[in-house]
Amino acid sequence: MTPFQPQVVPIFATPLGLVNLPGVAELNPAVAALFAARATAERADPGSRPPLMYRSRDDLLQWTDDPVRELTAGVIGAALSVVRALNDFTDEEFSALQLQARAWFTIVRPDGNVPFDSYPNAAWCAVYCLAAPELSPERYDSGLLRLHESFRATMFSDATNALIRAPYNTGHSTWRPTPGQLAIFPAPLTHEVALLRGTGELMLISALLRFIAPGQTGLPWW
Amino acid sequence: MYAVPLAETRLAPCDALNRELEALFLAREDDEHRNPTPSHIPQQELYESRFNLFHWPETCVRELRQFMLDGIARTVLAATTLQPQDLARYTLHNHTWFHITRYAGSFISHNHPMASWSAVYCVRAGEPVPDRPDSGVLRLFDPRQGANAFRDPANASLRPAFALRSLDLRLAEGQMVVFPSYLYHEVTPFYGRDLRITVATNCWFF
Repeated sequence: MTPFQPQVVPIFATPLGLVNLPGVAELNPAVAALFAARATAERADPGSRPPLMYRSRDDLLQWTDDPVRELTAGVIGAALSVVRALNDFTDEEFSALQLQARAWFTIVRPDGNVPFDSYPNAAWCAVYCLAAPELSPERYDSGLLRLHESFRATMFSDATNALIRAPYNTGHSTWRPTPGQLAIFPAPLTHEVALLRGTGELMLISALLRFIAPGQTGLPWW
Repeated sequence: MYAVPLAETRLAPCDALNRELEALFLAREDDEHRNPTPSHIPQQELYESRFNLFHWPETCVRELRQFMLDGIARTVLAATTLQPQDLARYTLHNHTWFHITRYAGSFISHNHPMASWSAVYCVRAGEPVPDRPDSGVLRLFDPRQGANAFRDPANASLRPAFALRSLDLRLAEGQMVVFPSYLYHEVTPFYGRDLRITVATNCWFF
């Protein structure tokens, strides 16, 4: 009997893009200092959970400070590189898309977290890590970005599907925020930042992106 | 349509029973009674017992067992087309454990494979935190993830029965909620300075 040669392909796959931003070693501390100074109640988003988690208003892309403009340009550029890689646009087609984006910064302090969220009317959510505490070996999940599992196919479990390998494995996916690195994923995906343990602060920039095709109308407010 | 059943019931009076349970659980909050194979990364601020709680012989545990399993059976009868005599032909199996949560303790979003119904009973609610209304709540996630990806004025203000959102339950002492085991849920960080104590069970019938 001829051995079977099965073909297995991923279906319902969800993209998670990771990009390391070059040349940010000096930029990150400068922007972090600005954020720390401006993390005020007046600039806070209603979603803030003081004092353990601060979230700014989503007007970061309108800030005029050079370090912020330079870094957010890098964040958006990195996000665009992932979006581009996931599609088959020609240069001409991609450059014809009108980008709409908004961004904010988040500071998570010890025992704080970012509750679960997802974003309607946006295509992509990018999260860039500006600063992160030292990793605590005892608190492996401290400050992780957790992307929630949503497939109820996990409800029946046996030996052959409980330990299935990637990319077919079930359970939440995580990304450890690492200074200088950006993660990007579909904006409707429910996600959170797990409780931060130990000392130090986690500082993130989040951006929502969507694209308007030439002639496209009828997009709702966001 | 596509509705998720949620049952809620209360044990009354519950004060004496809950104090007995609390004392018992605190006395056995040790490595011997700790869940040796936790399904998620253990949190120092949250103690999880072994899943054999309803095999304990203590009177207070047996009383709670009666209340919880009876409530689950009633929920099954209310949510299914089974008649009591149908249900009586099956054995109700359960995994049951307790949680003791301290400051900044939480439990990650999860569901319970290989079970049909789950329930949580509140032994001690823990102190409320006025500026943190979401402290220590049991959050049931909307299973229609992604359905809210497009929002406009015509679907942004859906009536509660149709709303696309999670349900946050701040449990009161003596209260029990029952829901399908497939439903993802979490316990949000508890910021009270005392203790939050709950008993959870997963049930299946053969």
